[in-house]
Amino acid sequence: MIHMSEVSKVYENGSSALNNINIDIEKGEFVFLVGSSGAGKSTFIKMIFREVLPSKGQLIINGRNIMTMKEEEVPYLRRGLGIVFQDYRLLPDKNVYENVAFAMQVIEAPRREMQKRVNSVLELVGLRDKLKSLPSQLSGGEQQRVAIARAIVNSPMIVIADEPTGNLDPDTSWEIMKIFERINKSGTTIVMATHDKTIVDAMKKRVIAIEDGCIIRDEVKGAYGYED
Amino acid sequence: MKIRTWEYFIREVFVSLKRNSWMTFASISTVALSLLILGLFLIIVLNLNNMATSLESQVQINVYLKDELSDKKMEDIGQKIKKLPGVEEIKFVSKKEAMERFKERLGDQQTLLTALGESNPLPNAFEVKLRAPEQVKAAANLINEYEGVENAKFGQDIIDQLFELTKMIRIFGFIIIVFLALATIFIISNTIRLTVFARRKEIGIMKYVGATDWFIRWPFLMEGMVLGLLGSAVATFILRNSYGAVVAKIYDTLTFLPLIPEQPFLNNVSILMVVVGTAIGALGSTISLKRFMKV
Ligand SMILES: Nc1ncnc2c1ncn2[C@@H]1O[C@H](COP(=O)(O)OP(=O)(O)OP(=O)(O)O)[C@@H](O)[C@H]1O
Ligand SMILES: [Mg+2]
Repeated sequence: MIHMSEVSKVYENGSSALNNINIDIEKGEFVFLVGSSGAGKSTFIKMIFREVLPSKGQLIINGRNIMTMKEEEVPYLRRGLGIVFQDYRLLPDKNVYENVAFAMQVIEAPRREMQKRVNSVLELVGLRDKLKSLPSQLSGGEQQRVAIARAIVNSPMIVIADEPTGNLDPDTSWEIMKIFERINKSGTTIVMATHDKTIVDAMKKRVIAIEDGCIIRDEVKGAYGYED
Repeated sequence: MKIRTWEYFIREVFVSLKRNSWMTFASISTVALSLLILGLFLIIVLNLNNMATSLESQVQINVYLKDELSDKKMEDIGQKIKKLPGVEEIKFVSKKEAMERFKERLGDQQTLLTALGESNPLPNAFEVKLRAPEQVKAAANLINEYEGVENAKFGQDIIDQLFELTKMIRIFGFIIIVFLALATIFIISNTIRLTVFARRKEIGIMKYVGATDWFIRWPFLMEGMVLGLLGSAVATFILRNSYGAVVAKIYDTLTFLPLIPEQPFLNNVSILMVVVGTAIGALGSTISLKRFMKV
């Protein structure tokens, strides 16, 4: 699914974000990415969907070689990924249904499939009764659920999330984590960067800890491991 | 792309044309003005060219004779001309005939003649037709030397002047048109920039969920093309409606000017204007996309 060997990233301004990363993430895994601020978690996530190109090393995502990939191939890489951000990134003038359907529209998915699929993912995130609401009429947790629905509507192999609960209170965060767990149960790989110690400790998933751009720990059924 | 996608693009285009209605208006007006001027120059240059070539293709020399020549003398001159190489036909036009023809040509503006009273200032003349236009100049030069000939004209001066004028208008027009085209491209690219700006969030999301670059580009490209198309449509409309009137006016007063007839000339100019307008629109959005969207 995700294969990194000797991957490093130095940004254009010379700041080194990741250093010699070697990792393999298999299908169906649920992986937490932890580390203090500036450790390189977001850079790790962005490399997966080729927002950021590694400076060197080898990176394979869903069988696609990121390093040799042509610009025109990037959209097809991303169709196999679902991306969730801390700030939801919904379209304010489209309602819940339209926000999710938009992701299918722009990749020209068949219309017949669209309605069924959108309704089923909105069911999964528990928003069947809010189809017509605008993002501004929703709570933060509900908005994030819309964003998750949009991320999985095209049935991606991997869902990547950068601090998806960063703006939410503990109870709401737990609801969101339940949804991710449900998605993971259906076989989707999940890679999530987070600062939420309680969640990481409680869920007992694989934990990759990054510090100063290096992997310092990689544990199956790991814990957050330190106080920030 | 699927039909449904094109429907979606068209909807998007009209939403943003409405959203930036001010810029839409400004863009369409600029395109219209620029193309109107382009069309005008085209029409003028092509007409002048047409006049010059049609004059040039005439193989006729008008030989004007001095007044008070004897009939014998005139007969002699006629014989001499007839023997020149390349002469196909020669016809005598008397003072009286010349006046008749002039009257006919004036049509309903006979009043101009009253100033002349009974006098007839027109000379006796020969109309000499040659076989090929290349022979005209040499023949005219020879005839000019004959005794009793006032002068032999074949309109070279006028042709040269027309071509000279066409050249100048062409250069001048070219500069103005390039300048206007740049201004038009600039204003369209600015309009598209506003749309890109209004849509940057949407564009970002489209990229994250895997829309292709062309899927993202098309609505903006189409918006620019629609602006160009509407602008050129306005310009074409104005030009088509005024050309007929102008031509009619010129025919009224200057019957002998060979203007290009309205059809299919005007259709061709219109098609060219619409194509150029749409292309300018597409170019304007492309510039904006390259600069502000990196797709
Ligand atoms: N676009 C960029 N240009 C230059 N340097 C960058 C850029 N993005 C990140 N960095 C640098 O790379 C390093 C890693 O940043 P990154 O955002 O990956 O950290 P992070 O682990 O996500 O931090 P946080 O927990 O605060 O989100 C930092 O030193 C940061 O300053
Ligand atoms: Mg980060």
